[in-house]
Formats: sequence, structure tokens, C-alpha cells
Amino acid sequence: MGKAQPIGKGVKIGFLAPSLLYLMAMGIFPLVWSLSLSFHRWKAATASSPIFVGLKNFYTIFFADPRFWNSFRFTVIYVFIVVVSELSLGLLLAYILNEKIRFRNFFRVVFLFPMAAPPIGIAFMWRMLLNPDAGIVGKIMGSMGINFVRWLTDAKLTPFVLMVVDIWEWTPFMFLGLLAAFQTLPVELYDAAQVDGASRFQAFRFITFPLLLPIIVTLVLLRAIDAFKLFELVFGITGGGPGTSTESLSYYTYTVGFQYFDLGYACSLSWVFLGIVLFVSQFLLRRLRKEV
Amino acid sequence: MRRFFWILMIVLVLFSVTSSAAEKTWESQQGEFTGNTVTVLITDPHSAVVEAWKPEWEVLTGAKVEMVVVPYASLYDKMITDFITGTGAYDLICWPSTWAGDVMGGGWVIALDDMIKEYGYPNWDDVTPAIKTVVSWANKIYALPYDGDCHMLYYRKDALENPEYMAKFKEKYGYEYSIPPKSWEEIRDIAEFFTGWDWDNDGENEYGIAFIAQRKTQAMWSYLDFAMQYAAQPGVAPFFDPETMKPLVNNPGWVKAMEMIQTMTQFAPPGLLSYGYSELRQAFVSGNSAIALDWGDIGILEQSPEKYGSKVKGLLGYGPLPGANKTYDFKKKQWIEAYNRVNFLNFGGWVFSISKFSKNQLAAYKFATYFTAPERSILDVCGIHGYTGANPWRFSHFENIDKWIEGGWGKESVTKYLQTIQAILSDPKAVTDLRIPGAAEYYDYLDLHLAQVLSGSATPEDACNNIYREWVRITETQGKEKQLNLYRESLGLPPK
Repeated sequence: MGKAQPIGKGVKIGFLAPSLLYLMAMGIFPLVWSLSLSFHRWKAATASSPIFVGLKNFYTIFFADPRFWNSFRFTVIYVFIVVVSELSLGLLLAYILNEKIRFRNFFRVVFLFPMAAPPIGIAFMWRMLLNPDAGIVGKIMGSMGINFVRWLTDAKLTPFVLMVVDIWEWTPFMFLGLLAAFQTLPVELYDAAQVDGASRFQAFRFITFPLLLPIIVTLVLLRAIDAFKLFELVFGITGGGPGTSTESLSYYTYTVGFQYFDLGYACSLSWVFLGIVLFVSQFLLRRLRKEV
Repeated sequence: MRRFFWILMIVLVLFSVTSSAAEKTWESQQGEFTGNTVTVLITDPHSAVVEAWKPEWEVLTGAKVEMVVVPYASLYDKMITDFITGTGAYDLICWPSTWAGDVMGGGWVIALDDMIKEYGYPNWDDVTPAIKTVVSWANKIYALPYDGDCHMLYYRKDALENPEYMAKFKEKYGYEYSIPPKSWEEIRDIAEFFTGWDWDNDGENEYGIAFIAQRKTQAMWSYLDFAMQYAAQPGVAPFFDPETMKPLVNNPGWVKAMEMIQTMTQFAPPGLLSYGYSELRQAFVSGNSAIALDWGDIGILEQSPEKYGSKVKGLLGYGPLPGANKTYDFKKKQWIEAYNRVNFLNFGGWVFSISKFSKNQLAAYKFATYFTAPERSILDVCGIHGYTGANPWRFSHFENIDKWIEGGWGKESVTKYLQTIQAILSDPKAVTDLRIPGAAEYYDYLDLHLAQVLSGSATPEDACNNIYREWVRITETQGKEKQLNLYRESLGLPPK
């Protein structure tokens, strides 16, 4: 057998080129294109051409668009409440189902169902369940003598209804990650704590929780980024209403882009959105890593 | 031999003439589109029409018809995205004509004048003038008519025409209401009177009035029913000042209309704010309210207790939109203290257009003309094909009473129903809907701020001022001069 010839530069480039081109076409070009569009006004529905407006779209977003700030406020509050709730409930469920209890495997599977269903399906299912005339939730409550509740029509109540659905859907994600983490915890530490006379709470507080913290940081980060992109539940259950009380940032961006076809402004919103998500994830990472 | 040659030539010429004449007709021919696929973008319940006619048209022409059924809230973005990207995924598109400014004005669909000239159209003279207007843009026809749309008033005869209830009403309010109710002021009192008690003795309490109120499901047209009476006059559209393009949506007429619709929510079923058009229709025919506002569709659902759970068959009365006891004249900037009633062509009707990117334009044209021909379209509007969302739009639809009776109607009911719709569609002073570019966006903001008023999170005045601001912004973004001229054109005025 002869000695293998070194591969020439041209060959290397030749092999790399298809994937690079694919990456450029699918990843880089849309990014650059959308960045460029964000400096234009383009009402695409009427077949007009993009007009360069400089930073005007960004100025409008920050200083003259109350709907942006409304959706930003709603999204931030939403993310905070659902992530904290899902983490707490996921931790509790993982703790309980890590113990040797009856039907443990059955419950482990059942709790994963909501996460396995497609989010848009979940949204339409809840919309039907909460329908004021035909929804089963209203009928059950009515049979118990509880008067009509404006689940989807009260601007103060509806955001919380969305949050409850989100918590129901995504707590299993936290549960799954934490359960896996629980099962990797070293038994020796607990034996030592038991010898030292630590209570169950103390064992959790000083052993379990610190050991889980790295995985918690990762789960919170993943879930926060995902929750920030809230779209399907809003689209399927409330359409952003009543009024704009449940209009998330991504739903607002979709509305501007694909209902008004104001594509320049929608691209600016997308870039602002990207900036916010990057900032929040960096903030969370640093903050939580410090804790770790 | 020579004679034979000439005879053969004459036969060939005649054959080619007759065969080409046979091709140049709107009527579909045996096997003429074998191997072609016509893709239709459509919403529910209109898909029922395509579903009804596609099997026999496929057998006749050899073509295939594929439907892409999307919810109303997604129709605009699916359609415009296809146009902008030039994909041509849809050959035939069923869309509401109120988007004419974007769809026809944007040049995304083909003008049909040449095709109509070349292939003909199934009885153009049979189409009512109002519908001919909505399928046109800048003197060209861009869509095939399919639906006659206008809001009308439905009321429960067993409630409003009950002598005992009428007497009690007179005792409480000091006057007798008209049948059908004549004004929003009357409706307000009637709605209040019939709210919260079991006036039809079915063991459940009923409510006064129901209308579409859910965001993104056409609720703004409920509000426009009020606004037309308080802010418009017959033949005078109330949207913009045609001299300056300044929106009129925050003048006292529009604010009064907003206050009135907000008041009505007190006399409506508790789930009102979740009523889209489907929910409203189902709720009303299940018997929960005395009055409803809708297009002609409730009438169709009324006739089918088995299919749509109607408990009100034969119990509904029909009337035009109620007027108002005063109206705001935006030109003189003052109230006119006199009764005013305006017919309004809400929505304008669903139409079928052919995408300019379609590769099967002729097949699409022939399929659409096939099912919109007089003898077929009557089956879609009269109830024989059930609830299709299509309402009468041809003169022949209003004349062919027997088909309606076959569709489940009583003679008296259908006569009144058709008279009501025909009177609105043939009113030369009926106000046509907003059709300029960006209509979908103008209306989305109207819908948004209306939702805030109905849910109690904004006052009528603030909401109208917010709509005004948004409409100014949209007009500027679209180009004020262009919008002004297009708006003037839609009113039949010369350009500025």
C-alpha cells in the first residue's frame, strides 16, 4: 500500500463548499437581508418597492409605538411567571417521583403527555375547553353553581389563563430534566448527611439543590428563551386579545409582518426581539452562574 | 375527385370552426383539462361550495381540484405571502372583496375582462349591480362574483311580536317599538327588555342582542353597523374626508356609535366577546337572544334543526340594519337631529380571483364559472348545499323561490328574507365598504380598539382617538396622495 497523498486545498474547499453555500443561503443571507430590510419601509402587499428610511423604524419602535412596549411588558411578565412556576412545580414533581412510590412509572409517563402534544393543538384544545357557550370547563363550573367566568374575554384574567395553559404544557419539560438530574445524584452524600443527623429539608437545601443548580440554570435558560418566543398559545387561544392584553412580542411581530405586510418594520421588530432575547439569556446565564 | 376534395375541405373547415367555437366558451368540456390540477385557497365554510362541485367537474374535465383550507385569520397572510414570493401555489383564491385595494390594486390577480370577452360568462346581466361593483377595480373586472354580502337584522318573532310582551314594553318605556325595529335607540330598549328572563319558556334565561364581537373574527363590521347610522348618510361614506384624506373615525358620530355598541354588551349573552361569526350563528339559532346582526347566514342555519341544532326555525323575522335618531354630518361638523338609515355593504362579498402566478388560469376560470353559473350557484345560496357562507347575489337567486323552499325554507320566511337582502343590495345609495390599499390594516386597528372598548379596558372616546392616530399613520405609510385618489375613486369622485 502506498502512502496516502495529502489532500489539496482545492479538494478541501470543494468538499466544504456545498455545506458552506447551504449555510450561507439558509442562515446568513436571510439574516443580512432582514437586517437590510429593517432600514427600509416596505408595504409589500401593494407591490411597492422598499424605501430606505435609515433608523426611523427603530426610533418608532422605542419612542412611538406603545403597542411594542405593551407586548414587551406582557412577554416579560409572562416569561417570569411561567418559568418560575414551571421550575417550582417541575422540581416538586421530580422530587416526589424520584422516591419509591406506587405507580411511579405510570405517573412519569402521564406527566409527559402535555409536552408531547403539538403546541398549536394544545392551544385549540384549550380554546374549545374554555369556550363560554360550549366549553366543558364552563359547564362543569356551572353545574357546581359557579357563575360564568370570563376566561377569555376579561383583559385582566386572560393573561393568567394563558400562563396556566403554558405551565400545564411545559412543567413536564422541567420535570423531565430535573428527574434525570435527581437520578445522577451520589447516594454517599445522603448517607453521610443521614449519619450527621440532617433532616430531609436540610438534605434537600444543602445537598440536592446545590448539586441540581447547574442543570437548573440550563433548564431555566432554555425554557426562558422558548417562553420568550410565545406564539402558538396566543395565536390559537386569544389572538392577542382581549384588546392587546395577551399580545406577545413574537405575535406582534407576526401581525406587523404577515397581517399588515409592513415587512421593513417587522424586520426591525425581529432584530429588537433578537437583541432582547440575547440580552436576557446573557443576563440569566451570568446571574445564575454566579449562584452556581 | 376534385369535388370530393372540396367537400372534404369544407367539412374540415366546418369541423375546425365548430371545435374552436366549442373551446371558446365558459362551459367546461369533456376531458379538456386532463392532467391539470387547480389549487384553491379558501376558508370555511366556503370550502363546502368547492367540495360540492369538485367531484362532477373533475369527472367532466379530467382535472383535479385541490383545496387549501385556512382559517379566516390566516387567509390574508397565506394569500399575500404567495403573491410576494411569486410562488403561484394557488390558482384560484376565495377572498373578501374588502381587500380589493391590496389584491386588485396590487396587481396580484389577473383582470378577467379579456377572458370574459373570449370565453363568455354565465349571464352577466343576472348579477346585481352592487356585486358588479365589488368585483371591479379601476373599471376592470378582477374577480368572479360568488356571494352577496350585507349585514341585516334578525329578530325573534315569538318575542318581539308577542302582544303580551309588547304591552309590557310599552308600559315600561312609554312607546311601542317598530317591527322590525327601526333605530338603534329602539334596539337598545328592546335588548334591555328581553335580557335576563325566560321569554321563550325553554327553562333558560335569554338575552337581548348578539353580534360578532371577538377580535380578529370580523367584529369591526358589527361596529360599522352602528357607525353607518351615526356617522354616515345615504350615499355618504364616513371613513375619510374625501378632500383631505383625514380620517373621520374620531368625530362625534363614530364616538356615539362606539358608546352605543358598548352599551349593547350589557344586554348580550355572557360569552359575547368570544363570538366570532361561527359562534354567533350557532348561539343565535340555539335560541339565546332576541336580536342578532349578521350577513344572510343565520337565515340558512335557521332552516336546519338537524344539521345545525336550530331551535328557531320559522321563528325569525328579518329586517334591514336599524337607523339612528340623529346623525353627524362631517362636512358641516354638526349633528342632524333627524332619523337616518344607511344600507351598508359590509365586507362586499366573497369573490374568486385567479392568481397572476397561476399556471392553470383557464382551468381556474372555467371551474369558477362552472359553480357560479345561475343554475348551480342557486344551490349554494339557498340552503340545498347547507351552510356555505354564500348569500344570494344574482337576480335569479331572488326569483327562484322554489329552490329555497326545497332548501328547507317556508314560503313566507324566504320571501321576507330575500326582500330584505335584495332591498339592501339594490339600494343605489348603499355605502360600499372600505376598499383602498391597506384596508385590512385599517380594519385591524379598528378591530383592536373596538375590542378594548367591548372588554371595558378603554373608553369610546380614547379608542376612537387611537384609531384616528393609527389611520393617519397607515395613510402616511401607504402614501397620502395615492390613498386620497383611490378613496375618491371608490366614491366615484374625480382625482384631486
